[in-house]
Amino acid sequence: MIRLRAATPDDLDAIDALEQVTFPSDAWSREMLAAEIVGAHGYYLVAVDADAVVGYAGLLAPRGSGQADVQTIAVAEASRRGGIGAALLDALLAEARARAAEEVFLEVRADNPGAEALYASRGFERIAIRPAYYQPDGVDAVVMRTRNLQRALVLGIETSCDETGIGIVRGTELLANVIASSMDEHARYGGVVPEIAARAHLEALTPTIEEALRVAGVRLADLDAVAVTSGPGLAGALMVGVGAAKALAVATGKPFYAVNHLVGHVGADLLNHEPLVGEGELELPTIALLVSGGHTSLLLVRDLVSDVELLGETIDDAAGEAFDKVARLLGLPYPGGPEIDRAAAAGDPTAIRFPRGLTAPKDLERHRYDFSFSGLKTAVARHVEAAVAAGEPVPVADVAASFREAVVDVLLTKALAACRDLGVPRLLLGGGVVANRRLREAAVERCADAGVALRIPPLSLCTDNGAMIASLAAQLIAAGHPPSSLGVGADSTLPVTEIQA
Amino acid sequence: MLLAIDTSTGTSVAVVDRAGTRAERTSADTRGHAELIGGFISEVLAEAGVAPDGLEGVAVGMGPGPFTGLRVGIAAARAFALGIGRPVLPVVSHDAVAYGRSEAVLVVTDARRRELAWSRYAAPGADGLPVRLEGPSLVPVADLDVVTSVAGYVRVDAATIDAGLLGLLALARLDAGAQPGPSEPVYLRAPDVTLSTPKKVTP
Repeated sequence: MIRLRAATPDDLDAIDALEQVTFPSDAWSREMLAAEIVGAHGYYLVAVDADAVVGYAGLLAPRGSGQADVQTIAVAEASRRGGIGAALLDALLAEARARAAEEVFLEVRADNPGAEALYASRGFERIAIRPAYYQPDGVDAVVMRTRNLQRALVLGIETSCDETGIGIVRGTELLANVIASSMDEHARYGGVVPEIAARAHLEALTPTIEEALRVAGVRLADLDAVAVTSGPGLAGALMVGVGAAKALAVATGKPFYAVNHLVGHVGADLLNHEPLVGEGELELPTIALLVSGGHTSLLLVRDLVSDVELLGETIDDAAGEAFDKVARLLGLPYPGGPEIDRAAAAGDPTAIRFPRGLTAPKDLERHRYDFSFSGLKTAVARHVEAAVAAGEPVPVADVAASFREAVVDVLLTKALAACRDLGVPRLLLGGGVVANRRLREAAVERCADAGVALRIPPLSLCTDNGAMIASLAAQLIAAGHPPSSLGVGADSTLPVTEIQA
Repeated sequence: MLLAIDTSTGTSVAVVDRAGTRAERTSADTRGHAELIGGFISEVLAEAGVAPDGLEGVAVGMGPGPFTGLRVGIAAARAFALGIGRPVLPVVSHDAVAYGRSEAVLVVTDARRRELAWSRYAAPGADGLPVRLEGPSLVPVADLDVVTSVAGYVRVDAATIDAGLLGLLALARLDAGAQPGPSEPVYLRAPDVTLSTPKKVTP
């Protein structure tokens, strides 16, 4: 059983012996080693097997300097190939992160490709060669560097629906969130037309990237990664973003991260911002209710980058889609959400008892956390047709208010049931429908009554945007997840369990 | 040296220079553009032994072709060009088929929905560049004889567009100071949208 512990002066004999054997031609002196072990800016570890020192490693990382150097890693011949070197390196890198080092450097002999491969696997890149650095052998030193990717600078591309969103973040810091929307072009059709959305993405893409870079004040060369939504969403629209993101990543030599749109909505809440509702930082686990024109999903998020579960989703229309369709029935323009909100202001939400989809006991058995809005839409249509048939004016205000109440009621009832059933007293709202004032007000009231802590990010981060995609990728990078394959495609039905494609 | 991309039919990516095509990857699959494009770009650069910033620009086929695939290549070309700070060199995809032919040709490609896309070219002049006389336009498959009945043109049906040829043409045009191709995709069709009237639901 190998374990790692901090080196002490008592280990000097063992370290010195290992140093002499491992680096026969250019070993450090015993005095230097002794000073290093106790140095204030250093961090020396030994790997011990039973009580024998079988490896050691050292880091030089003065606090506040923002930099760290891997000084040495040595493993006894007989103990090699057991992952001890990698474990020592990982421990040094963790300490470098803890000391807030932005960059970690090291030198490795050019005739040691095994070591260089280990360093490359931990994100180190060659930055220079020092000719004949190791004497007397005359072997070159390869200088390598890894950036502290706890705060990765990521550009995110989002094209899953009708918003071309480009965001740039540094870790959890939001630097740019630029959106070009084709919403106006869809207005006359009463809903998003996929082909129109895809054409608009292609037109808007590069100008929006340039604008985001300008706003953030960064260059493409500064980026640590390029991220993109690979799904779920409209296939043709997603493909524009995926094609562009891959090409941008290859052109700039940056890692490529393809991520899940829905989990991105949760990732948006990690960005530094004043939440619309809630305080402090996002706490996990949380229930997340994501409601937009394309999605109505209830998630249990235990860990943003490794553990997201879909509790339920709509089995027909998305909630936002229901707003658009009912708006059309009432002769109101697109998008329906704000129009219904406006019309409902003068209406009585209790005037008409519209159905709450999938809330009957038998439905709850199979669809406890699923949603259905198509029956509600039909009920509204019947109501409108009945009024017209009777020669009466359609009570637009009452219908709008009662419809909206039915949607809001079923959304919150199911979300709060999940909080209660699963013992998770936290609810995060996301998605464009959060722009609906009544949904927010009702959520505040009912969460307070239920003792559930509610969070709503600012609306600019609730609607589809690229910053949330960049934010999720930054978290994946910080957690050490490797980049996505360049072979991943757009997946219009990507499940939430696939946080990274 | 250019990177060249065409996704108007299958997916084709190449690196070309003034001596010819240095590396090329082509798939005739009429789907899968988004999956293939990144790997193809990366592979042709590696095979040609060129770094992205060693390229002068990015040639791209602007169509005609089925929209969803076509856009992947154009999006990739624009993003790559942005990434290296070099220009996009747009080319009508049919021009790449006509390039290198010594006779007058009629280029025909599939446009789906029982339609074909076609362009008519005169025999090239001294500069060897294709001279498009008509098109690109659409014609129903059933009416193709209206297009083919014009005598004197060799019909060339292209199942895939070769990005190598497309890139070489873009390079030849660049060197000749010729006009670049269209900056926007050649869709030839308006988005397919029908305004549905809400259905009655009362029985």
